[in-house]
Amino acid sequence: MASGALPIPVIQELQVVTVAAAAPGVSGVIAKVEARLQGRRGPRILQPYYDLAKLCRKEALAPEGASWFFLAAPLVAVTCYLTVPLLIPVLTSYPLPLGYMGDILGGGFILALASFVVAVAALETGSPYAQMGSSRAKTFGAIAEPVVLFVVFTVALVTGTDLPYALAATVRSSAGQIVRPAHLLASAALFMVILYETGRIPVETHTGTNEFGMIEEARPFEHSGPYFALLKWGSAMKQLILFTILLNVFVAPWGLAATARPGDVVVAIAALAGKAIALGVVIAVIDNSFAKLRLFKITEFAAGAFLLAVLGVFTLYLGGG
Amino acid sequence: MAIAWTGLAAHVTAPPAVPSVFGGSANVIAVLVLLLEFGMFRQALLRDQIRLYAAQSAAVSVLAVIVAAAKNVPELYVLAALSAALKVVIVPLVMRRVLRGADEEIAGSGTLGVATTVLLAIAVGAFGFFTVGTLGIADVAPGTAQVARPHHAGSFDGTGAAPPETALGLAMAVVLVAFVLMIVRRDVVSQAIGFFTLENGVSLAALVIAAHMPLILEVAFLFDLLVAVVVFGVLIRVHHGRGQSLSTAELTRLRG
Repeated sequence: MASGALPIPVIQELQVVTVAAAAPGVSGVIAKVEARLQGRRGPRILQPYYDLAKLCRKEALAPEGASWFFLAAPLVAVTCYLTVPLLIPVLTSYPLPLGYMGDILGGGFILALASFVVAVAALETGSPYAQMGSSRAKTFGAIAEPVVLFVVFTVALVTGTDLPYALAATVRSSAGQIVRPAHLLASAALFMVILYETGRIPVETHTGTNEFGMIEEARPFEHSGPYFALLKWGSAMKQLILFTILLNVFVAPWGLAATARPGDVVVAIAALAGKAIALGVVIAVIDNSFAKLRLFKITEFAAGAFLLAVLGVFTLYLGGG
Repeated sequence: MAIAWTGLAAHVTAPPAVPSVFGGSANVIAVLVLLLEFGMFRQALLRDQIRLYAAQSAAVSVLAVIVAAAKNVPELYVLAALSAALKVVIVPLVMRRVLRGADEEIAGSGTLGVATTVLLAIAVGAFGFFTVGTLGIADVAPGTAQVARPHHAGSFDGTGAAPPETALGLAMAVVLVAFVLMIVRRDVVSQAIGFFTLENGVSLAALVIAAHMPLILEVAFLFDLLVAVVVFGVLIRVHHGRGQSLSTAELTRLRG
């Protein structure tokens, strides 16, 4: 290994630290862009960090009758979100040792576990809003999860493995890989799933007050203080993780560090931030140009994503995808 | 780590057959045509449905240009221009004119919900798709896509033999999904549009497997479509004149 190179475990940790540290910032940029598009000045970009700091200083309360699980859930969820960056290409184009702990499906399972834990904690509270949110999240999740499965099938058929690193390398290898319909369809399906999972506009309003259309946003209603901060931070991390999977595996796996030199890694961090912000701008534009779907129309949205993913697998099946 | 990397490199350097850029983009457009077909299930406004049809026809015309460029068939440029003029401009114009008399804007809701229809159409489309796969019509088997067959080397103009199987399967799926649209929707306009999109699926198939078909045949197909448009226009007018509605739900009695 060249002199002056960072040790591999350090890069491995840097992947986690990058996601954890940059996630609230990406949320802040999206909120700012969204506000500018609506002609408002908007909050500071660093506002999410201030929010987290403020919440951490506050008192933590639990509803009467809630068991230990209510308080454990935010910790479990954040642990899950901190684990996934070990499995996906965040900074490097070459696989890091712990990247073999789990494949893209394994990463999906860990994200699903986090969401399940939060949903169970919401059920603990006895609050109607939180329960409604978790019930809806699981209902629509039953349609969104198969989409992720089919996207994974596409990856598996394209690369012969289900490692995210392998797909990223395949996409980089030639232009033919980018225009092949299976790749475009899987990317589009994954993008729609991301809109659903991060609670963006065709599915629900991301910011705002209490309302009956809430899904993801309603679940941490009863949490407070540092626990609420963990949940908010966790959902920001989930957003950045999903962005990273879409960008570094499917859409734009460029700008990743090919070596372990510090300079390359710094460039990779900057590139990831830039790409995530660009994707965030796209999502902010979508947020401002569409209306929220009625709750019962969300199945149509999910059916659309499912259609894209299934077509991706079909086209691959006959060898022409 | 080094071992891991070489293990991965083995996967990366030998991925399964990748379609050529021409094959890939042809397939992308075929997929786009199918997606627009699915989009019609979601569309409730008649005007938007016509707009979707125009977009779908535009995609087919673009495919004609791509095939013309890749396979070096200059007549196809003429066909692309003609089909764009007819299907992107004239047919939507005529349909809109027909609809101007009718005050209805919203398509009669289907017999099934949108999500259910989409799932049903996926199943039907999959049937068509895989049927084409098992028929073995295609001259290039999957997996050998990169191997240029000698008798094709000239006609494909050095771009490599593109397997038409996928695009053909997609065209078949478009035709079948158009049938689903016609069956599920209960208004004359959606059924007419379903018929027109069926023609789009057929011309997609023609472009993919028989690019060298004589131009006169293709143009004859286009004029067939024009006749269909006129017939449907009259049908819609008469139906609306008699029943004051575009819905076919009341057409329950058979008259001699």
